Amino acid sequence: MKNNIPPYLIRTADDQFNPAKTKRAKLSFLDKTILNSSKAVKSIYLQAENAASDNFIQNIHPRVKFISLIYMSIVVSVVSNPVTQLLITAFIFLLCIVARLKLLEVYRKIFILAFVFGFLVVLPASLNIITPGKIIFKVISLSKPSHFLIYNIPQNIGFTLNGLQVVSIVFLRVLNSVSFALLVVFTTPFPPFIKSFKMVGVPDTFLMIISLAYKYIFILSRTIEETYFAFKSRLSANINSNSIRKLIGGRIFFIFKRSMIIYQNTYYAMVSRGYKGKVILHSQNHFAVKDFVVLLIVVLSGIVFILF
Amino acid sequence: MHIPDGYLSPQTYIPLYGVFAAAVTVAVKKVKKEVSARNIPYLGMAAAFSFIIMMFNLPIPGGTTGHAVGSAVIAILFGPWAAIVAVSVALIIQALIFGDGGITALGANCFNMAIFMPFTAYYLFSFFSFNPARKRLVYFGAFISGYLSLVMAAILTGIEFGIQPLIASSSDGKALYCPYDLKIAVPAMAIEHMLLFGIVEGLITAIIVRYFLRNEPGLIYAFRKGGKNENE
Repeated sequence: MKNNIPPYLIRTADDQFNPAKTKRAKLSFLDKTILNSSKAVKSIYLQAENAASDNFIQNIHPRVKFISLIYMSIVVSVVSNPVTQLLITAFIFLLCIVARLKLLEVYRKIFILAFVFGFLVVLPASLNIITPGKIIFKVISLSKPSHFLIYNIPQNIGFTLNGLQVVSIVFLRVLNSVSFALLVVFTTPFPPFIKSFKMVGVPDTFLMIISLAYKYIFILSRTIEETYFAFKSRLSANINSNSIRKLIGGRIFFIFKRSMIIYQNTYYAMVSRGYKGKVILHSQNHFAVKDFVVLLIVVLSGIVFILF
Repeated sequence: MHIPDGYLSPQTYIPLYGVFAAAVTVAVKKVKKEVSARNIPYLGMAAAFSFIIMMFNLPIPGGTTGHAVGSAVIAILFGPWAAIVAVSVALIIQALIFGDGGITALGANCFNMAIFMPFTAYYLFSFFSFNPARKRLVYFGAFISGYLSLVMAAILTGIEFGIQPLIASSSDGKALYCPYDLKIAVPAMAIEHMLLFGIVEGLITAIIVRYFLRNEPGLIYAFRKGGKNENE
C-alpha cells in the first residue's frame, strides 16, 4: 500500500546523495595529478637531504661516483652468474649502510622497481613456452599440443630450470643496477653530479640545460600541486568529461605560460650577470687521496666480479 | 616504455648511446641557431615542461587514469629538434632521481622517446594539420600524431627487446638479457599501446593542442611564421 510520507523522510543514510563519493569516482585524476607532483617534490627533497649529510660516501668526489656508476652499470650488465650478482647485491647493500641512507625508504623503492620490472614482467619467461627445458613444476596439462597463429603451445606447460635461471639473472641485474644508481644519486648533490658528466665529453651547454630543468621541475611541480588543490577545494559538484578536458588543457596551458615567464626571467637574470650566450662550467675540486682509494676499490671489485 | 637496466645487452645499448649523443649534438646546434643566446633557458624550460606533462592524469574508461609520455605534444609545441633535447633531459632526470629507466638503457630510452617519437609525431601532425583554420583536422592530426608515434615507438622498443635472445645468449642457448623474442616482445608492446596507452597519448596531445589553438595558436611551433622557435 502506498503511503503519503514524503520521500526525504523515509530515505536511509545509504540512500543519501554523497557528493564526495561520486566526485571521488570521477575525479581520481585530480588526486593522481596531485600525488604525482608531490611525489616529484618529495623525491627531490629526499635526494637533496640525503646528499647533504656529512658521511664518508657523501664526501667522495662526484666524478669518482660518476665513474663508479658507469663502471658498475657495465659490470652488472655483463655478469651472467647469479651467485656473482648476489655478491654484488651484498656489496651495494654494504655501501648503503656506510652511506647511512634511510635503508627502509631506499630499499622499498629499489624492491618495488626490481619486483615489477625484474620479476613480474620476466616471470612468464620461466615457462617452457618461452624457455624450453625440463619442467620442474607443472602448471597445466592440455589434451594435446596446439598451434596458435605463430605460437606453438606444448601439451604440458610449466616452469623450467633454465627459465627460472633466466628470471633470477634478470631480476638480480635490475635490482643491482637500480640500487647502485640510487646509492650514487642519494649520496651526491645533483648539480655537482651533473657537472661530472663533463668527463665523458658532454658539452657544458647540455649540462646547464639539465641543471636549469631540474630547478624548474621543482618550481613547476609545486605550482601544479597548488593549482590543483585550489581547484579541488572549490569543487562543489561533479564535472562532465568536456569540463575535465578543458580543465586539463587549461592547467597545462597555464603551466606553459608560467614556464615561459620563468624562462624569460632566468634569461634576463643571466644577461644581467654578463651572459652572452656561451656557457663555461668551472671545474670541480681535485681528487683527494681517499677519492683515488675508493676508485681503486670499485675498479678492483668490478674486475673480481667479472672474473668470479 | 622506460627500459630498465638488465634488459638490453651492451651490443644494443652502446650503439644507441652513440646515436643519442650525435642527435643531441645536432639538436643543440639547430636550436641555438633558432633562438640564439636564449637557447639554454629556453631548452631548460622545454625540458621541465616535458617532464611536467607526464604528471597530468586523464580519466579513461573503466574508472582508472592515465598519463602521456608527452614527446608528441612537445614536438608540436617546440619543434622536433628542441624536443630531442627537452625530452632527453626529462628522461635523464627521471632515470637519475626517480629510477625510471636504466642508466645503461638511457641511450635506448632517449632514442625511442626523445628522437624517434618526436620526429614521427611532428611529421604526422604537419601532414594532417597543414591548415590551422581547419580546426577539426588539426585536432585529428594531434590525436593521430600522439597515438601513432607512441605505438610506433612501442614497436621499436619491442624490436630492441626481441633481438636480445638472437644477439646475446649463453652457449647453451639461455637468454642473458630480455628473454622474449620478436614474436612475443613486438605484439606485447604493440597491443597494449594500441589499445590503451596510445589512446591516452593521442587524447592528451589533442586536448593540449586544442587549448593552445583556441587561445594562443602562435605558441604552436608548427604554425609559427617560418617555423622558427622565437618566442617574443
